[in-house]
Amino acid sequence: MELPPLSLQQLATVVTSAPTPTELYHTLSEYEAEACLLSIQDSNQAELLSQYYATFFFSHLLTDQIREARISTQRMPENLLQKDPSLQNCLNLLRAVWQRNYEQVYRVLRELPWSDQLKPLVQSYEAHFQEKTLKEISRAYEAIRPAAAATYLGLDPTSAAQGDSATVQKLTAYGWTWDEEAGLLHPKPVAEDPQKEARLYNELSEVMALIGNRRS
Amino acid sequence: MAESLSYLTSVSSQLLSVDKISDDRYDCQIRDLIAYIKRSDKSLDTEFLLNNLNPSQHTLPYLFMLNLRVGSLQKKTRNTSPDEIKPGNDLWVKAVCFLRTFDPIQVRYAGNEWRRLIELIGQAAEAAAKPFLAVQVIRDAILRLDSLCGILSSVHVIFLRLCLLSRSYSYALPVLERQIFHFSTGQVQAYRKYIDHPLCSKNTPKDFFLSDASELSVKLTYRDHVQYFLYGGMIYMALKEWDKSLHWLSIVITSPVNDSVSKIMIEAYKKRMLAGLLGHGKLAPVPKTISSHVLKVFQSLTKPYMSLSEAFERNDFPRLRAEVDIGRSIWRIDNNEGLVSQLYNAYNSFLVLKLGRTFSALTTADVAQQAFTSLESSSKVENFVASLVMAGYLGATMLHLKSPGNATMLHFSGLPETYITRERGVRAWLAKEGQALKMITNGVDQCSNELKLGNENLQLVSKNQRWPDSSGKSGGNVIGEADGIGLEIDEDIMGDNN
Repeated sequence: MELPPLSLQQLATVVTSAPTPTELYHTLSEYEAEACLLSIQDSNQAELLSQYYATFFFSHLLTDQIREARISTQRMPENLLQKDPSLQNCLNLLRAVWQRNYEQVYRVLRELPWSDQLKPLVQSYEAHFQEKTLKEISRAYEAIRPAAAATYLGLDPTSAAQGDSATVQKLTAYGWTWDEEAGLLHPKPVAEDPQKEARLYNELSEVMALIGNRRS
Repeated sequence: MAESLSYLTSVSSQLLSVDKISDDRYDCQIRDLIAYIKRSDKSLDTEFLLNNLNPSQHTLPYLFMLNLRVGSLQKKTRNTSPDEIKPGNDLWVKAVCFLRTFDPIQVRYAGNEWRRLIELIGQAAEAAAKPFLAVQVIRDAILRLDSLCGILSSVHVIFLRLCLLSRSYSYALPVLERQIFHFSTGQVQAYRKYIDHPLCSKNTPKDFFLSDASELSVKLTYRDHVQYFLYGGMIYMALKEWDKSLHWLSIVITSPVNDSVSKIMIEAYKKRMLAGLLGHGKLAPVPKTISSHVLKVFQSLTKPYMSLSEAFERNDFPRLRAEVDIGRSIWRIDNNEGLVSQLYNAYNSFLVLKLGRTFSALTTADVAQQAFTSLESSSKVENFVASLVMAGYLGATMLHLKSPGNATMLHFSGLPETYITRERGVRAWLAKEGQALKMITNGVDQCSNELKLGNENLQLVSKNQRWPDSSGKSGGNVIGEADGIGLEIDEDIMGDNN
């Protein structure tokens, strides 16, 4: 199906109408060739390009394609990347995510000036990043200090270290248990999506059926 | 001109009802159409026709008109890439639209024109320093022509090159991840002459319409073959899929040679060494199919890489750093500087992984003492180890201790969920391999038919018919006899291995 031409309005429509981050990514990737034809010499086109590439960048992050996000920055026009504030923010965010510098990730997301069009994506990514990190901590830690957990999850580490009940409550809300005597939290592993499991079983059944057919 | 348009549209519209007309009639009509276009090409108003034909319905006339238009502009401007075909201009838009919507059956009859258009699009995008523009278009066109993509063509090589140039590595995956199981040889088996399947028939084997004769691909050379697999290996390296890159680069270094090895093979050997270090922390074993003299050539031409690998494998960080510095100009000339720069991080990761093979648990302070002299503080080591565990590279869990010193214990023995993760990985792998198996099975069936009807087997049959006593059977099962020969060959192969 042919997509409507790329414009600021169309970009906003794509962002608001995409039901999932994966679909947002796929739709935006279809526009990359069209974006490639725009010129940064024209100020209107440069603004559109800035919005497009920043949105596309976030669609990578929201689908956990960090490496691909990095590669996509290498395809952006060099001059635009160096001068545009939104894309510079994206680069800062990428660097922090790539280096797993959690404090910096939250700082970039919360404190840098993002354009109004990008703010919903920035907020979505913050929630996504927190959720992803929570799963990773749950898998990686048997016990964790509240301050460390707070740093990973973008909460206040100082109040967490002092045993602030509100912060601890936020963390126990994830199903973790709080050992007050030891001053440690025990994360609870997060279960995987059962739909993914079912799909894999179906695919395996197909393989077994194929092997069975060939044997006969 | 309206008359020509009316004729072209009416004939190609009839072709669209492919299910309703027989293959022979379709074949006959389409050949007539080609003859008509070729006969009247000088009198046709290509611009008018391009504006009035629909590329998805009138694929064949549209393709010819595009080529005629480009040809006339090239002649007029004496430029192989006239302005009209440059990205964004009129002919570019038309060509892109065509390549996204063409009818794959009609294109079988105009392989040369289709291929030339792809080449032109690639050249134009590259000339405008925007190779990415051609990547999606060519990928979609390759998959549209042959969704299985099991036959290597010259267009594949062009496509991977553009993917590398434009750094659009993941865009290559839909093509790369389809198994190539046919190589166009240019030789058409004799029996094919007696099988009456027109090009348009769904029973026509894909390697037949994608053969050299169809001109959808130019004749592939040895260089094209190794280049394709080198490019594929490089793309997988860029995506950090080390095992796949090792496999693709192994195909390059095991390519048959006469006396000397090619430069491309040397390049692949160097990259393969680095892929082994980055993916597994050690050099990947050399495939047994490489002869000893070829291996000696490889080793003699890659000595700096060998020294680098030794330092890496022996956990000698000062030497590794020295080797990286000494060979800097070599890595740059070989375009391997980026890969070499990744060695430091890989070195640190594999150090921790190796500790897991010796110890069941360590504090992160012990990890720092045992492994890292390169990282400054134990907090940096802890962050590094935590990043490995959280990213899933290191099968371990971390435990913050109650003690006042803020110690962290690293348990290398995986929890039960590690097994679950592994099992899930194996299941995903099995499902993926299953898909590949399905495709290869179809290919094997086709190959089996080829072998039964191929020139060599037919010669063998005729020989056996001349000497009926020699086989001990008269007539009988031809395949059974061939199987007997197969067993002998098998034993020879086993003998070589021993």
